[in-house]
Amino acid sequence: MPKLERSEWYDLSRDMNWQFKYVRDTEVFPEALSESKGIPPKTWWNWDEPYKISYRDYVKNQAEKESGVYAVRSALARSGFFENLDPGWKAAIIAHYGVFAMPEYLAALGEARMGRFGRAAAWRNMALFGTLDEIRHGQLQFSFPHALLNREPRFDWAHKAFHTNQWAAIALRHLFDDMLTANDAVSMAIQLTFVIETGFTNLHFLGLAADAMKTGDVEFSTLISSIQTDEARHAQQGEPTLRLLIEHGKKAEAQRLIDVMFWRGWRAFALLTGPATDYYTPLAHRRQSFKEFMVEWIIKQFNDQFRDLGLERPWYWDLFLQELDWLHHALHLGLWFKRPTLWWNPDAGVSVEEREWLEAKYPGWHDRFGTYWHTIAENLRLGNIDRTHQETLLSVCNMCQIPVCSPAVGVPPRQVMHAGRVYTFCSEPCQWIFEQNPARYAGHLSIIDRFLAGHIQPADMAGVRAYMGLSPAEQGADATNYSWAFELPQAALKSVA
Amino acid sequence: MAVVPLQAVFRGDFVTLLVLVDDKDTMKVVADKIAYHVINRRLPPQNAPIRVQYNHRALPPDQTVAQAGILPLSFVEVYYDARDRRHA
Repeated sequence: MPKLERSEWYDLSRDMNWQFKYVRDTEVFPEALSESKGIPPKTWWNWDEPYKISYRDYVKNQAEKESGVYAVRSALARSGFFENLDPGWKAAIIAHYGVFAMPEYLAALGEARMGRFGRAAAWRNMALFGTLDEIRHGQLQFSFPHALLNREPRFDWAHKAFHTNQWAAIALRHLFDDMLTANDAVSMAIQLTFVIETGFTNLHFLGLAADAMKTGDVEFSTLISSIQTDEARHAQQGEPTLRLLIEHGKKAEAQRLIDVMFWRGWRAFALLTGPATDYYTPLAHRRQSFKEFMVEWIIKQFNDQFRDLGLERPWYWDLFLQELDWLHHALHLGLWFKRPTLWWNPDAGVSVEEREWLEAKYPGWHDRFGTYWHTIAENLRLGNIDRTHQETLLSVCNMCQIPVCSPAVGVPPRQVMHAGRVYTFCSEPCQWIFEQNPARYAGHLSIIDRFLAGHIQPADMAGVRAYMGLSPAEQGADATNYSWAFELPQAALKSVA
Repeated sequence: MAVVPLQAVFRGDFVTLLVLVDDKDTMKVVADKIAYHVINRRLPPQNAPIRVQYNHRALPPDQTVAQAGILPLSFVEVYYDARDRRHA
């Protein structure tokens, strides 16, 4: 039987667009779920992407990827590799699974929404593959930690985290609801696939896979590499969507969608990836600092894309660049102080050598952050463990839900009164996002709001940890049992005092 | 007597804290309650009095929360007043 070349049949089989006669376009594509942005239905049919994969090819490729990933896991199952991993790296991957596994399913919901309500058949076709990708990513990132449960029970948080009121889980749910479960197809193509996947996670996963390999975690490296190859494909939904909006006079709206999600993505990235890169990853295996990674990969790519598409950098770009120098160091300190509220053991990452590395990568780190760690280390050596915990809640932002950290002396958080309620924001962009659409965000209660509303009982730190779903056995502790504090020679202490 | 939750930062610290005070607490007490969570944990003690600043104004040590009109969830900054070490 003669076979046609793929180029001869692909567009015909994929582009099943037609004009509706028996129903209105708005019934098939309700604005709330689809958002035409005022672009006519037929114009959307010009939507195109470069991958052009067929279902047959997709299944074949994915089956091969699955075989490869599970073969590596089987080979390593009895190797005892996990026991030999660095404690900081263990913290990074236990945190990773809790953060990423469930959102992969939320992303599947998002992709499925684009697969149904995307405005062009080519787009819906790509989103179908995206849906299958995300289901696969969820399954993989449940299956792998599940196999390690006998080594570390807190791998259970891969599944558990999003079903709790742990504060970081609240922050992530807020973010992913905004981006995925409560978003329309057009906004999602830009915010999920262009901003977050193309902009952050695709590049991050490339680096993470390389870090894992250097650290000796071949299993995790293989897993992340396999996921990244899917992301590189389905993340292509954003750019053609953006191009259509820009070509049809909707540049300002496209820019607004980017500006909202770039900031939200950055805050979550700083909270979770910043500490893992600069504090948890073993010093000997760090390829570059978090800031260097951001500048060399994330910022360069965004700059190139903004230029190519005729878009502007987000209006808060200078503030974002300033935060690269300090925000994740502050958040790391907050995570470490609130370690009983985490499902992983944060690695302080401030041995003498590590402090020197931090100062070299972030000139001024000693003066700004080293002094805090000096006081903490002194308390540990004196046995004042209580003083290395925080006996009250940290204020959190009513947008990003992340602790409100101070960039400098005298910079207060921003506060807004809306419908008789005080909202606190960590930064001008978080306030700006809220004010774009207060009705969308106003009803959410932060962990602080819940505490003050009496949802948390008893209203003390033990009650807070129980509310967050953390039993004593699950609560985080210092990854190296404070060994770094006792290794610090007095000479080094004087140099940072 | 009513609990007033404050959002507070000790000058030089890295994060804003939720600190519960009483509306009858004087600024001296408020300062001590906030300092408890920061001094000797991340910042070293100093031989100087601690002041409370609200709405860009330093408040008298004997003024109460209610008298100062500080509302729930207000932001206050506390700091060592190095100009007045004698009264520490």
